[in-house]
Amino acid sequence: MKTIEFKQLDETLFYKKLPNGLDVYILPKKGFSKTFVTFTTKYGSIDRTFVPIGESEAITVPDGIAHFLEHKMFEKEDGDVFQQFSEAGASANAFTSFTRTAYLFSATDHIYKSTETLLNFVQEPYFTEKTVEKEKGIIGQEITMYDDQADWRLYFGAIENMYHSHPVKIDIAGTIESIDKITAEHLYTCYNTFYHPSNMLLFVVGAIDPTEMMAFIEDNQNKKEFSEPVQIERHFEEEPTCVAVKERELKMDVQKAKVYVGLKAKQTDLKGDEMLKHELSVQIALECLYGRASNFYTDVYENGLIDESFAYDFSLEKGYGFALIGSDSAQPDQLVTKIKEVINNAESLLTSDSLERVKRKKIGFYLRALNSMEFIANQFTRYEFNEMNLFDAVPVIEKLTLEDVTEALKTIQGEEQQTVFKVLPSSERAQ
Amino acid sequence: MFLSTQLAEGVNLHIRQTTQFKTVSFSIKFRAPLDQQSAAERAVLSNVLQHSNGKFKKSAEFRSYLDDLFGTVLYFDASKRGSEHTLLLNVETVNDQYLQQNKVFNEVLDLINTAIFEPNLENGTFVPSIVEREKEMVTQRIQSIFDDKTRYAQYRLTQILRPNHPASISASGTIDTVKQITPESLTKTYQAMINEDKVDIYVVGDIDVEAVQKKLTEALPFKDRKAKETQQDTNESKAEKEYTKEQQEMKQGKLHIGFSTPVRFGDEDYAKMQIFNGVFGGYAHSKLFMNVREKESLAYYASSSYNSQYGLVYVVSGIEPSNEKKATDVIKEQLEAMKNGEITDLELTQTKAMLVNQLKETLDLARGQIEIYDQYKDLGETFSVDTWKERWDQVTKEDVQKMASQVQLEAVYFLCGKEA
Repeated sequence: MKTIEFKQLDETLFYKKLPNGLDVYILPKKGFSKTFVTFTTKYGSIDRTFVPIGESEAITVPDGIAHFLEHKMFEKEDGDVFQQFSEAGASANAFTSFTRTAYLFSATDHIYKSTETLLNFVQEPYFTEKTVEKEKGIIGQEITMYDDQADWRLYFGAIENMYHSHPVKIDIAGTIESIDKITAEHLYTCYNTFYHPSNMLLFVVGAIDPTEMMAFIEDNQNKKEFSEPVQIERHFEEEPTCVAVKERELKMDVQKAKVYVGLKAKQTDLKGDEMLKHELSVQIALECLYGRASNFYTDVYENGLIDESFAYDFSLEKGYGFALIGSDSAQPDQLVTKIKEVINNAESLLTSDSLERVKRKKIGFYLRALNSMEFIANQFTRYEFNEMNLFDAVPVIEKLTLEDVTEALKTIQGEEQQTVFKVLPSSERAQ
Repeated sequence: MFLSTQLAEGVNLHIRQTTQFKTVSFSIKFRAPLDQQSAAERAVLSNVLQHSNGKFKKSAEFRSYLDDLFGTVLYFDASKRGSEHTLLLNVETVNDQYLQQNKVFNEVLDLINTAIFEPNLENGTFVPSIVEREKEMVTQRIQSIFDDKTRYAQYRLTQILRPNHPASISASGTIDTVKQITPESLTKTYQAMINEDKVDIYVVGDIDVEAVQKKLTEALPFKDRKAKETQQDTNESKAEKEYTKEQQEMKQGKLHIGFSTPVRFGDEDYAKMQIFNGVFGGYAHSKLFMNVREKESLAYYASSSYNSQYGLVYVVSGIEPSNEKKATDVIKEQLEAMKNGEITDLELTQTKAMLVNQLKETLDLARGQIEIYDQYKDLGETFSVDTWKERWDQVTKEDVQKMASQVQLEAVYFLCGKEA
């Protein structure tokens, strides 16, 4: 077992790669009664075309399958896994993102029992045609729920605008039509390809003894048999730098318009320290330009172009990346003009004063976030899947220069990389 | 867990020293009786105080200063509990020991003083342009409920279930009551808040208790006040209608059902009622989740929540509109089953384990410690997890059955698309 110390943060991380390939990280936290455990596979909604384990030809599976599989992992021959977690007083959950599927629980008691439940239920698939059919009604309602959420439609509308073919443009849950095609056999194919321990990471944070916990996990894993790890082959089409659609709108039953300006990233092949530095640079640049202390914010706030929903964010993964900036707004077009003015003139707006201020803010953000076990476990996993280390973020921020952030911002700045998506009040209710 | 002292009559300071967190959290709660007009005033006031103050007259200056203090989080907010309105100031700052340089703690204390006692006034009142802008922001916050169908359905159910009652008064007031606010009225509201409200101040973090007590006594020079006693809502509000269906352009049907119970927070049966809710629809092992979702595949979510301040239980579920009757029946059947005593030992064990876990997890958060202590301190007993664990452990199947028998369906609200 390796130990990694982060002196400034007063944290010690324990790590081991098990013989079956599973990466296990343990972060003991003093003074807490809770433990939070995540078991994550590097498999999300974008992994739709791949070579199944043991085969040679790539296949494309129905949209929404990673999320469908996540749901179905909880049902076993002898019932629902939630029942076991509840009995041990553990809150269990799971989520599927574009690139990851995570299973997790938090508890203050019976930690080993629930850790065992977690490891076992994720590593013992049980799918039948009957249980797969039953789930279609439940997920159908989940999809319908998101269909009615204007903010979700806005988010996906903007992403759809940006991408020509990359599957990040497809809703994580798929559609009612696409999930209808899913069979138990599909689920086994995906499971067998992506749930090998060598494609997974277990993170334990909280009130635990790291040596004992590591031994417990190892013992559990050593009792199970797995095939030899194989490199997973995923296929993606070539994606151009320019956006697919420059501007689009959707009418919904809302009182106020919503708008996003999307900026498509052109540098999406980084990993490790380079990616960490790049990602933090872009985030900090956006904060300098659009944050609450910026001239832009004062202007649009005082002129009533935004409200409390104003937000901006930058997402980056291997193969795709984008910034989204927007708000609910009674004058969405004027807001778009203002947002674009700032991005187009960013060089003159980024100053070393604002950079130093935002760097301090960001360092504070990371230190605050390290109080949260959920943040640590989820983000550490995401960072690790991109070969970055969460605990390096603060030292990297400290070293960023104005040139770093200006250069990084250029990768999302091009005119052809900009798109606009609006959700507008449907005519009946327009005010 | 907290050490409580009185700064002035009606003003109490509660401090907890702990090494758990990398930050220090403050929460200052101003409380006054809840009604529509004062809720609106205080919601706008919280926005205005958040915008600027006497030292930082422009919002951007204020925000820049907070960024410089390593992103110290400082926000005012409005909320309610029972018949009380709370205007609160929450602050969270990084503990100095984790920073390479700079001591921020003292600056944060000064800033709290400024934010509360040095408002941005012009000729004795708040600045009209800022007041107008923030009135608009609060109005938009109220309106935004319409654009979130789940929140809207819950808002409508509460209005129908308890008209003219604290349960249906929003902590932000209404569009009309916000409209009536003037810089003068807001200034009066501010003065009443400073001089008349019941005030509780919380601090949690790795701090020197005595030093912080001394510094806060200086930073928060509140005067004695006779805080108004807020009584529990006594008016006998009843549901307007037993069934309401409304339509918008949407795909899913939102089924929200309101029930009443005579049991409220702090009553002798409170622990039993918590167990009732857990078995009924509070968790993933509950009857609603297992039947509406897992057995019948009718919904993605189906759950209940117990609002102990008002003696209400809400059931919410998102369904295919054509399944309205079936889903309503299945939900009613679960309550009937509990009234008939169909409650398993496993359901009880699971619910008790989950309640204990939830409480312990909440106490792992600085905000959680503050909120739990703040709520339970009024019960006049020393709060401990063990006390509550014991109370839950003693609850029997018969107790839960009795709780179920007192739960009455009062109103069903269904929001769905136009063609359904």
